[in-house]
Parts: sequence; C-alpha cells; structure tokens
Amino acid sequence: MKKLLQLLCLCQFLAAIKIPITLGQLNKAKKGVELVAGTTHTINEEEEYYIGRAVAANILSQYPLWKNQTLCRYLNLIGKALVLKSERPEIFAGYHFAVLDSREANAFSAPGGIIFISRGIIDMAGNEDEIAAILAHEIRHVVNKDPLKAIKSQRMKTLGTFAAGEAIGSGSEVLNIFKDSVLDISGTLLQKGYSRGQEKDADLQAMDLLAAAGYNPAALLTILEKCRGIEKKKTKAFSAHPAAAKRVAYVEEALGKAPAIDMSVRNARFSKSVSR
Amino acid sequence: MKKKACLLAFLAMTALLLAGKVLVVQVLHAQLMAKPDFLSSNLATIQKGACLEIIEAKGSWFLVKNADGLKGYVHGSALAGRGISLSGIAPGKKGASEEELALAAKGFNEGNERKLRGSREYDFSAVDWVMAQAVANPDVGDFVREGKLK
Repeated sequence: MKKLLQLLCLCQFLAAIKIPITLGQLNKAKKGVELVAGTTHTINEEEEYYIGRAVAANILSQYPLWKNQTLCRYLNLIGKALVLKSERPEIFAGYHFAVLDSREANAFSAPGGIIFISRGIIDMAGNEDEIAAILAHEIRHVVNKDPLKAIKSQRMKTLGTFAAGEAIGSGSEVLNIFKDSVLDISGTLLQKGYSRGQEKDADLQAMDLLAAAGYNPAALLTILEKCRGIEKKKTKAFSAHPAAAKRVAYVEEALGKAPAIDMSVRNARFSKSVSR
Repeated sequence: MKKKACLLAFLAMTALLLAGKVLVVQVLHAQLMAKPDFLSSNLATIQKGACLEIIEAKGSWFLVKNADGLKGYVHGSALAGRGISLSGIAPGKKGASEEELALAAKGFNEGNERKLRGSREYDFSAVDWVMAQAVANPDVGDFVREGKLK
C-alpha cells in the first residue's frame, strides 16, 4: 500500500511537470503582471482587491467623491473600452472609475482597479480622448501592479512568515500590517509618487493602449501640455507624478503618425456627459 | 473500505492532473464568451473557484469547457494555474486550504476591512458607491461601436 502511494505521488509529480505546458501559455497571456512582493509571498487577486478597497477608502476619507452618475457612467464606459484591450482585463471584482470633487488636477489608481480622476482634470480635458489618455495611464499602473510595489518589502516578509507558519502573528499585529500597507500605498499615490521609470512605462504603455482601443495616442501629449501650462503658473498638476515638461518630452518622441479619427460622436457624447 | 475510497479519490485526482488541463477561475465572475473577444456573445458567467478544462489556447484566451460541458472562451487573466490542491483531500487532512490559511494569516481580507469600517480614516461607504457604478459589457460594446473605437 505504501509503495502504491509512493507510485501515485510520483504520478502527481509527473503531472505537475506536465502542467507547465498549460501554465506557460497562461503566463504568456498574463505576461508582465506577476508580482512577488518582497521576496516571500505573492499577493493574489483577492488580497489585491481587499487592500485596494482599503486604499480607496483611505483616499475617499481625504477627497470627497463627486457623485455625478452621468459622468461616472461615461468614465466607466471609456475606462472599460480601454481595459478590454489591456493584458489584464479580468481582475477580481472588475475595474471601477470615479471622480473626486477636487479642483486639483490629479489622478490615481488603487490596487484592484479602483481608479480616481479629479474634477480638475475633467475641467482641463477638451475631449473624450484626453480623458481616455489619463485613464489609460492609470490602468497601466494597475496592470503593472505598481500600487502593490509600494508596500514596504519588510512588511511583506513579516506577513510571509505568518503565512508560512514560521511565526504566529496576533490579530492586532496582522491588522496593523494591513493598515501600514494601506498607508504605504496611499502615501505613494498622494505624495511620494512612483519611480520615474514606472511613470515613463505607464505613459508609453498608455499610448499603446489608447491606439489599441481606437483612441488617439496624441491625446496624452495634448493633456500633458495643458498640465505643463498649469505648472508654468507655479501650480503643480499631478502632485505625485513627474513634472509634465519631462513627460511631454518622451511622449512627443514616442508619438507616431496621428491616425485619422472621426470624432463627431465622441465630441457629442463628451459635451453631453461633461458639464462644467 | 475507507482506505479504498481514499485511494479511488486519489486516483481520480491523479488522472485529472495527468490531463494537465485544469485551471481555476481566480476572479469573482469570469465571462465565458462565444469568441475570444469580450464584445462577442456572453455564454455564461463563471464563479470564482470553478475548475475549467482547457481545450486550447488562442493568444491571451483559452477555449474551455465548464462542469456543465459548456464550451467557450475565457481570458487568461481570469484564470490561475494553481490547479487543485491535494492537501485538503489527502488521507487524514481536513480543514482550510493552504491558500485560505495564507490569506487569513496575511490579513488582506474582508475580516480586517470590517475592523476598519467606522474609522474616520476609511470611507468604505463611498467605496461601495463607486463599486455600484459598474457598466455591463454589452453597453461597452455599444459605446465602442458608436464612438468608432476598436
């Protein structure tokens, strides 16, 4: 009986060797979205969702929501049109987009796909494609799992030891790590910002995403130029992002030939949905 | 008798793993589409944890068959390659899966969200409002077509 079980275990092992054929295909499909936080543990979809909800709740305790359902629906339609062309269209509870009632020009994304854009950006945008450009940049941060990378690696190592049973964390210890992880992310989104490399990647990938969805990638350049205009007046746009002038330079360099786009329907629905 | 039942279960699981073609839905609701395109007809919504038999890969999509024998396409981002953990069904072992234990230990879960609710630093009612503003894929399809998007 024991030998039989050993043989079965060997079969399981062989099966596990066979699985990577499928896993390889799966990983190809999910290229670039795997993340090992710190060195000890992988954050799964469900965990990302719950930490994302807490980060969003923390942001919403500081910035009020603009509960304009017409505008919110319009943003969600633009956002979903973009998301479906990304490498990560399916996330735990789907992507959600909302407007913060703030005249500051800003946008940020919580883990798990809750994306905020400020009323200041809506005021600044001249058309649907410019709003899509801002959302595409934030979607790319979610696809790249940049918000999760803001969690201090030491925290993830400690949680990893709890999860592996190497140490026992009390309920309050685990709750404190959860809260501190939320603050790591909120602090990065609202103040510290991502690295320049992460921002540049998000900008360049956003241009590809815009093109894939049928939006004009040059819209990212035009909205950034507007931000540069604001910054010349000594008012910082996108407080946790690099200076708009630097972003304009590399976006301009990466732009290809502008596609011919019929904007009539988009312009009409933009005017209908965005009241200033 | 009990040993025989365990052995049979073990054999069945081994056969399943040897096929090497089972993936698990890792999102709350995955869409089973008629074509490898979110704007094609939606055949069914598949719940988290469902096992899907992979028939073939097509780019970022998988042609799958669900437990009811329904075939369709699911995007790879909705699937996890964990397969089926044997730890929960191996003879003598019971209780939560390794994944459930890891999630509970890490605390990024609903239980700890409940502990934060009511605190001034977290406005979960506003988050719930945001989550309620979802749009359906058919509406996105209309939006894409009308706006001459792709």
